[in-house]
Amino acid sequence: MNRRQALQTIGNGFGMLGLCGMLAGAGQNPMAPRQPHFPAKAKRLIYLFLNGGPSQVDTFDPKPLLTKYNGQAIPPEFFKDEKFRKTAQNARLLGSPFAFKKCGQSGLEVSELFPQLGRRIDDVCVVRSMHTDLPAHPQAITQMSSGRLIAGFPSIGSWIAYGIGSENQNLPGFIAMCPGTPNVGAELWSSGFLPASYQGTYVPCDEHDAEKMIQNLRNTRIGRDDQRQQLELTQLLNRLDVARRGADPMLEGRIHAMETAFNMQVEAMDAFDVSRETQAMRERYGVPERPPEMNTKMRSATRDGDFARGCLIARRLVERGVRVVQLYFGEDIPWDSHHDIMVHKKLAMQADQPIAALLTDLKASGLLDETLVVIGGEFGRTPSVEVTGRINVQNGRDHNHRGFTYLLAGGGVKGGIAHGATDDFGFAAAEQPVHLHDLHATILHQMGLDHKRLTYRQSGRDFRLTDVAGNVVREILT
Amino acid sequence: MFGLTGLAATAWAADPPDSRDFFEKRVRPVFARNCLACHSATRMGGLDMASREGLLKGGTSGPSIIPGNANQSLLIQAVSHQHEKIRMPLQQARLADDQISDLVEWVKAGAFWPEPVAAPAASATAKYTITPEQRAFWSLQPVRKPAPPAVKNAAWAKTDIDRFLLAKMEGKGAGPVEAADRRTLARRVYYDLIGLPPTARQIDEFVNDTAPDAWAKLVDRLLASPRYGERWGRYWLDLARYSDDRLESEVDAPYANAFRYRDWVIRSFNQDLPFDLFVKAQIAGDLLEVDTAKQQNLAAGLGFYGLRPDTQDDRVDATGRVFLGLTTGCAQCHNHKFDPIPTTDYYALQGVFESTENAEIPLAPEAIVKEYQAREKAANDKKLQIRDFLHAQAQQLAEMLAQQTVRYIAAVRANPGADLKTVASREQLDVETLDRWAKYLARGEWEHPFLRDWKSPNFDAARFQSDVLAVWKERKTVDDENTFRRTEAKKKGPKAVFEPTSLKTESFYLWRDLFFNDFYGNQFKQEDDGLLYYGPNRGYLESDGAIERFLLGGWKDHLERLRAEAKELRALVPPQYAFLHGIKDSAKPKTERVQIGGKPENLGEEVPRRFLTALCEGDPALFQQGSGRLELAEAIANAKNPLTARVMANRIWHHHFGKGIVRTPSDFGFMGDRPSHPELLDYLAARLIESGWSMKAMHREILNSAVYQLSTVGAGPAADPNREIDPENRLLWRANMHRLDAEAMRDSLLAVTGELDTTAEGAPIAFADPKNVRRTVYGLVSRRKLDGTLALFDFPNANATSEKRSVTITPTQQLYFLNSEFLMERAKRLSERLTGGDDNAKLRSAYTSIFGRVPNEEETRLGLAFVRQGRERWPIYVQALLGSNEFMFVN
Repeated sequence: MNRRQALQTIGNGFGMLGLCGMLAGAGQNPMAPRQPHFPAKAKRLIYLFLNGGPSQVDTFDPKPLLTKYNGQAIPPEFFKDEKFRKTAQNARLLGSPFAFKKCGQSGLEVSELFPQLGRRIDDVCVVRSMHTDLPAHPQAITQMSSGRLIAGFPSIGSWIAYGIGSENQNLPGFIAMCPGTPNVGAELWSSGFLPASYQGTYVPCDEHDAEKMIQNLRNTRIGRDDQRQQLELTQLLNRLDVARRGADPMLEGRIHAMETAFNMQVEAMDAFDVSRETQAMRERYGVPERPPEMNTKMRSATRDGDFARGCLIARRLVERGVRVVQLYFGEDIPWDSHHDIMVHKKLAMQADQPIAALLTDLKASGLLDETLVVIGGEFGRTPSVEVTGRINVQNGRDHNHRGFTYLLAGGGVKGGIAHGATDDFGFAAAEQPVHLHDLHATILHQMGLDHKRLTYRQSGRDFRLTDVAGNVVREILT
Repeated sequence: MFGLTGLAATAWAADPPDSRDFFEKRVRPVFARNCLACHSATRMGGLDMASREGLLKGGTSGPSIIPGNANQSLLIQAVSHQHEKIRMPLQQARLADDQISDLVEWVKAGAFWPEPVAAPAASATAKYTITPEQRAFWSLQPVRKPAPPAVKNAAWAKTDIDRFLLAKMEGKGAGPVEAADRRTLARRVYYDLIGLPPTARQIDEFVNDTAPDAWAKLVDRLLASPRYGERWGRYWLDLARYSDDRLESEVDAPYANAFRYRDWVIRSFNQDLPFDLFVKAQIAGDLLEVDTAKQQNLAAGLGFYGLRPDTQDDRVDATGRVFLGLTTGCAQCHNHKFDPIPTTDYYALQGVFESTENAEIPLAPEAIVKEYQAREKAANDKKLQIRDFLHAQAQQLAEMLAQQTVRYIAAVRANPGADLKTVASREQLDVETLDRWAKYLARGEWEHPFLRDWKSPNFDAARFQSDVLAVWKERKTVDDENTFRRTEAKKKGPKAVFEPTSLKTESFYLWRDLFFNDFYGNQFKQEDDGLLYYGPNRGYLESDGAIERFLLGGWKDHLERLRAEAKELRALVPPQYAFLHGIKDSAKPKTERVQIGGKPENLGEEVPRRFLTALCEGDPALFQQGSGRLELAEAIANAKNPLTARVMANRIWHHHFGKGIVRTPSDFGFMGDRPSHPELLDYLAARLIESGWSMKAMHREILNSAVYQLSTVGAGPAADPNREIDPENRLLWRANMHRLDAEAMRDSLLAVTGELDTTAEGAPIAFADPKNVRRTVYGLVSRRKLDGTLALFDFPNANATSEKRSVTITPTQQLYFLNSEFLMERAKRLSERLTGGDDNAKLRSAYTSIFGRVPNEEETRLGLAFVRQGRERWPIYVQALLGSNEFMFVN
């Protein structure tokens, strides 16, 4: 007796296919794709999070005056307003050690840290006027994720999944990857007060084997055939149970979810297994055959190829219709170059190639048109030298939440443009400032969601990702 | 804000007395109750309805009223739901027909608005007044005990609870379904009260007990089980955002004593500690005078605040939501938009908490505490001494090695490709240092210019060595100079500018490459040590470095001595005494000032510590004793408080039925749900108080009702009129089906395999530990990294108070049933325990263990076919049963 026959002989006489169709209609699957508020420009989101705070003035926001006045205080004539004077008057400027050069047709300037990304800059919108509310890692990372400085609120990926579900039911709809754990940790992909099915599925992309990336993905004891028979039996018993207890959306929802889980084993194993790519492809991203040994015990040290593997997996996931992929750069806060900005060199080397390869591939396959790629950290860094904490006034930069850079590509965002500007030295957003609430509103907008209408009723009021703020940055949209 | 309604000055003259009367009685109250929360000070949609002018001007959609023309007035279209887009009040029920017709009449008659009687200038400091409409809000009314209503089907009703519910059903033309069978009831009440499935024998016992009080006896037995507190205490821990660790901890090190609060909660439920005392203990347990003969240490309850999330101050918010069902946190930045809670109330309460501080309350005599602290300090000091010593030695070594730069470079240059070990031993150099130099020179590219021509025959190694030594010295000078400058700056006061000096950038790069270390750091997590540094480095997770092999004779002896001493001192440190995470009053109570807009730099009036205005008659009395915690506790845990008993009775109801009478258990305010059965809720609250706040009495009363024992019906007769009348089952004409939550699921898996360890209380155990077969409530709950399985099955996030569990059904949950080691291990264990000589008997054994019943013919046929299909099939079969819906859902 094969399974289909069995299903037809038992129970109410409708097969699994009919059941699936019925359930999709009944809305029992929380991840079923849903209509957005308005037609979406972007169907998927890839958020590459450079945790620790990459420096804007060493990457995408060139400041020749910094070089000119390297080692000096800001000349008084530049203090155009009192606020700026207060922020910057004691600063000692640190010129970028990295050379900038005009890239692409657009001629946008990119530093030598990102040569390959520079070649793709015509697909990228460089938002140079980002700003946020606090210059401390845990709060700032939390706020970038949920719009709030404190824990307990849903992350942006959860909001999107809650809003529009996902296109592939055999993979989690919101996946959060990191080699190790970023500062703050699982709170960053928590669904907060939204139903738990919208929390991000964490995937440690420093693992090489797909089965170690998703919990319970692989059965270590039972072969595939046995498992299939086992599932058939469970489902037959479940049908008998429905017949006895009576139809209930929860009972039928679980029958459906069980079927999906069975398929997920194959599909997820495939999606996360980068060894199914050609060697040439892995090399384009910078993914080594085997992860190199780490000979350091430093907490935030990043290993070559881990972020690259994440980028390659991200591509494979959006190809399969996963709604939101959030990839953190590394353990804790790797981009936190307080002491020596030259550390950015090693980090950028690990970031540049895979980001460029990802954009190239998405562009070539046409997926970039409907995939929004967002790149940035929880804040930027000061144009001046670090003077806080112990005396380490030398070659590093401190946290700076008042002005920093984000990159957006694809998904209905104009390429090859710069939006907004920081002041002459890069301390603070000065023109067309974009607050993180504005960024969130814009991301949601591209996904077809009105950030003011995407709400959830909790403890007496409707909550949203953008709290009571946020404006869509329309100037950067196609 | 509501008080401003009457302040708007209008130019309207000649008040016709009838019009005034009509407005005040029929129009203003409707506005006040339904509109002004959003359309006065807040001006949502640009509309201000606090004056006639505001209505004439209207909002973003145009004028709200056209006096004399009701049909064309947006206000009327919106409230009568005739406008295509705008329907008001937003997300609330439509106004009553007579209210709408009053408004129509008012607009038709010219929209008269009386001149305010007295118009004091509106200002930010205007005294906040609670309007009579707000005072009349349902949840702020005193709890009264209504008489149960008369019902038609009097025979069906077993208790007063039934009469309240039945009357409502009958009123709507609905009626209860039949009662569930006894087997179903047994399973339901076991899960409900103790979170574990009944065994087959326990089911049979109840099914076969023909005594009229069989059910009541079963309920009593379960309430007396220690497993009861483990189930119901956990619900409270959801509210208390209980966790065994901190979100911000860098390592996975849980608090060693957090579990004492968890255990206290469980014990309190098991002992049926009166709920009012349970509340008081959590707010002011250290200040209570209780006969301690039977009572536990009530200060243990203070963990409610002592273990709060470390990233935020949620004390006022948690107090309001958990104990009172009020969203007091909303009044932090502005007066509550909907409920009568001004910011002054928020800061009056915040003052109470600002006058307390976190405290570790030792459960050991002072002498033991002191001894522990002294010994711990001694051991730690010694450890630091060793690190300082190693660092100092490493610094000296670095300088020494720097002085041999010429020799190392010469050795690298003279022996390209040679075995470095041989070279080092021949040249009497340190092989690791030689290796480091070789690699450094091979790099061929440096951020400094000093080695640019090191390959050329003219390279002056001696010159380079002196550069190295110069930069070493220069950096020391810079550090000394900066230390001096900083000290000087500090002397001048906190705002004095500290202008540090530094190395030239190129010198810095050389210094960094050779000498950098993160001994004092903890922020530089990417940089490698300089190549001449062999010391300890805090950034490197507590490593001691490789300095030791360079130490000679006396120094080595010294280090060994230090280490021996450290070991001895460490051995002398006793295990830390137990303590409670609690709070205590600060030496000096503080009076807070309102933070306007929630901004600490924008301070408003001072507000003395006191209780919420809306819950007091007249002006609230100021708290007099210390922080005021005890007075706060007494104001909350008070039979006269209209909210406390209602909120808790509703929480208990919520867990028994899956939904509360008020479906927002932590919000009894304006934006919360309205009770489906207000009289029943009052009745329950009154009974809770009458019983001396006994939670077990409340359970009994609910469980002995007929309504609790209804069937879920499932499919039932499709044409059941109940479905048409009340598809959501708010009337409770049937029982609701439940999915097992994370704890019930895991506990059941262990229970049916006979593995469950029911040891109560104690330190938490990680779920990843395969030996952890204790109840889930005793597992480690993390704010930082919640266990994957708990997270999968909707366990709440411990960073915020959680009023109810979400119930999701997802594919990743089913992967757990298909593949998790935990599940497969359970299946294997159970398959090994199956009893009986043949497959038939084993099958019965499996069904009896897992479902508490024997399989029917069809199930037997399927089972036998399955297990006979190959070898080693029993564990696979058992897993299929454990993964079935019959296991996962309770009806």
